[in-house]
Amino acid sequence: MSSHLPEKNSRTRENNNQATINIALAGNPNVGKSVIFNQLTGLSQTIGNWPGKTVEKKEGHLNFSGYRFNIVDLPGIYSLSTYSIEEIVSREYIVSKDVDIIINVIDSTNLERNLFFTFQLLELQIPMIIAMNQMDILRKRNIDLDFNLLRDLFKLPVLPVVAVHGTGVHKLLEKAIEMVYPPETNSLTNKNRLKSQELSLITTFGKEVENKLVMLLQSIKNSLTNGDNKFHYPPRFLAIKLLENDEEILKLLNNDSQFREAIDYANEYRKQLEEYHGEDIHTILSSEIYNNINAIIERVIKIRSQKELKKASIADKLDHLTTHSFFGYVILALVLIGIYMFTFIIGDFLGRLIENFYSNWTQAIYSVFGENNFLINLFWDGALGGFFGGLAGVLVYVIPFFFVIEILQDSGYLPRAAFLMDRMMHAIGVHGKTIITMILGLGCNVPACMGCRIMETEREKKISLALTSLVPCAAAMTVVMGLVGRYLGLGWVVILFTINISVILLVGRILNKIMPGKCTELIMEMHEYRVPNFNVIFKQTWMRTKGFIFKALPIIIGLGILLEILLIFNILEPINFILSPITVFWLGLPAVTGLFLIYGILRKELTLVLLSLFAANVGLTVVELLTPIQMITFSLVTMLYVPCFATIVIIAKNSSWKYALQITFLEISLALLIGGIVHFGFLIFSGI
Amino acid sequence: MVSKVKKDQKPLLNSNIFKKCLTECEKGEEVIVLKVNAGLKAKRRLANLGILPGAKLKKKQDAPFRGPLEVIVKGSSLVIGRGLASKIIVQCDESCNN
Repeated sequence: MSSHLPEKNSRTRENNNQATINIALAGNPNVGKSVIFNQLTGLSQTIGNWPGKTVEKKEGHLNFSGYRFNIVDLPGIYSLSTYSIEEIVSREYIVSKDVDIIINVIDSTNLERNLFFTFQLLELQIPMIIAMNQMDILRKRNIDLDFNLLRDLFKLPVLPVVAVHGTGVHKLLEKAIEMVYPPETNSLTNKNRLKSQELSLITTFGKEVENKLVMLLQSIKNSLTNGDNKFHYPPRFLAIKLLENDEEILKLLNNDSQFREAIDYANEYRKQLEEYHGEDIHTILSSEIYNNINAIIERVIKIRSQKELKKASIADKLDHLTTHSFFGYVILALVLIGIYMFTFIIGDFLGRLIENFYSNWTQAIYSVFGENNFLINLFWDGALGGFFGGLAGVLVYVIPFFFVIEILQDSGYLPRAAFLMDRMMHAIGVHGKTIITMILGLGCNVPACMGCRIMETEREKKISLALTSLVPCAAAMTVVMGLVGRYLGLGWVVILFTINISVILLVGRILNKIMPGKCTELIMEMHEYRVPNFNVIFKQTWMRTKGFIFKALPIIIGLGILLEILLIFNILEPINFILSPITVFWLGLPAVTGLFLIYGILRKELTLVLLSLFAANVGLTVVELLTPIQMITFSLVTMLYVPCFATIVIIAKNSSWKYALQITFLEISLALLIGGIVHFGFLIFSGI
Repeated sequence: MVSKVKKDQKPLLNSNIFKKCLTECEKGEEVIVLKVNAGLKAKRRLANLGILPGAKLKKKQDAPFRGPLEVIVKGSSLVIGRGLASKIIVQCDESCNN
């Protein structure tokens, strides 16, 4: 065992005398990190955000063998550079005092690529365990790995794991205990884990690079000993990063004049290396790393038999079908419809159950307390009304949604969709991944907007958020179907839907022009299709639902209370009056609709629900209340005018409140504009 | 196996070999990357995924409507946008028309 161990013995026992071990799970996307994380942490998981960032932070814990393990599942990344927030966040977290051990999860069927990231982790010189996952698949291909050699080469524990079966997972924990709390108490624990230790030889670069690094290292070490070492990063890491011109490290060191010399050297050496090799520094270093990786792989791979699998597997056939020039799109359309119907049907069903439950109780309560009891109104109608409204209106769509996202993501279909749609997405300023969030938006904008965090740049994320929130969700379509579809025919539904889509395309083009920066090119790994792991999916769905409940629901309830208060104090009636220039004059709608549209901010289908209720109350049918043009206008406005409140909150959480309000304002303007055009257009047209 | 970028000789870009961009490759063709003429950020992302000078690629297919490309590199599939793919210069053998 190497000498790079944390100062664990100097740590006091925390948590009622229970020793803790903090683990970070790191690795490429789709290697099975989440599966391992789920198995270890089960329902103790929380999904939050890294402080001040829009990156997801997944944490959980478990007790094992008398120790308490705190586990953080880092985002799946390919390197530790500074080009994405996920990478920066991961890098900073790993070197913080909060991590005792990294478990690097590797997809053993994809060694070359995965090891590239491993090398990046090695540079941080933190105690690490390598978990070779998917060993079952590897063995099915008649390939095995020489684990002893791997351990020798990396000078780290390397353990085989089959995450989906749970094999080997607990051995990881046992090894972690061994490393963090070694049995020999007067061990060689290195109090200062930044002391440079004997790195395995495999991480050495080529001669020219190493020569420069040695000199840089010297300069850095001098600067470090002169001042106090407030950096968590090992000196060699700093040297490599300076050579690479790493932004974040430069920011860190630039303030310190003692590093001036090192920085100057680094710039000089970099120029020399780039001139000599005719490539930029990243390419040079990456090439050398891959050379080392290939040397390792040559030695550790054991091919057991020469028999190759000639026949295309089911996964291959499925891949071929779903990316086919014709069938691919057919399947995409079917998936779209399928998601939509799945959410709609289940959401509707559950929603109705809940609504019945609520209204039955409402009857009961009213009969006991009367309808105009202030407290009852505030609590039952307002708070609980908001709560049930949130449940019935949003959550029942959100849950099947999260479920479907997880299935699509896990099975591997989403990248295929992006592959097919990338070209068209470019026309509206985003790339293929946005089609994914937009498809999801057809069911419910809330999880769809949450999904926008998969975008790589801030710009794309913002455009995706705007466009996704314009997609008519199931709730909005309920209004369209229930009004226009029912009274004017399905043809009009299609027309309205098309108008909505056109608006999306238009907004996309405009945003693409006015937002600074360019759309990044699609670079995406497309892993093989695989059978979704339902255990993981259920847990993930529950996790996301939990997260949603605790974040968005309180706000929805608060709004419910607010609206109830306004109703009680009769502030709402005047609102209709205040809004009438917009509703009556501009949109040509009856004045009462003002109120319905306000409620619609909470849940879009409320606009129709309240309309129907109102009609019933005054003894009219909906047809008598609204003319066909008014129905069209009303539906269009409902589809476009604002994202529902939960969505606004999610947009804010994924970018900023300022942007969320900007989008809201944009959509209100669009809705009014189009509503006005329809209204006045019709007037002019019929007047001709 | 990835061929090593020789340390004692400049990359082969200027010598007399056939080269073309990735977008010009045929379906199923196996090529070796010579150079990536993209911005630093894109180059870095590609390198992280294994596309850098010396890497062996196999082109799997093009997306319809001049969309992205799917290539196999380092044992798994990658999708690359068309614009970026056209900046990846690869070496092909003598049988390809330049």
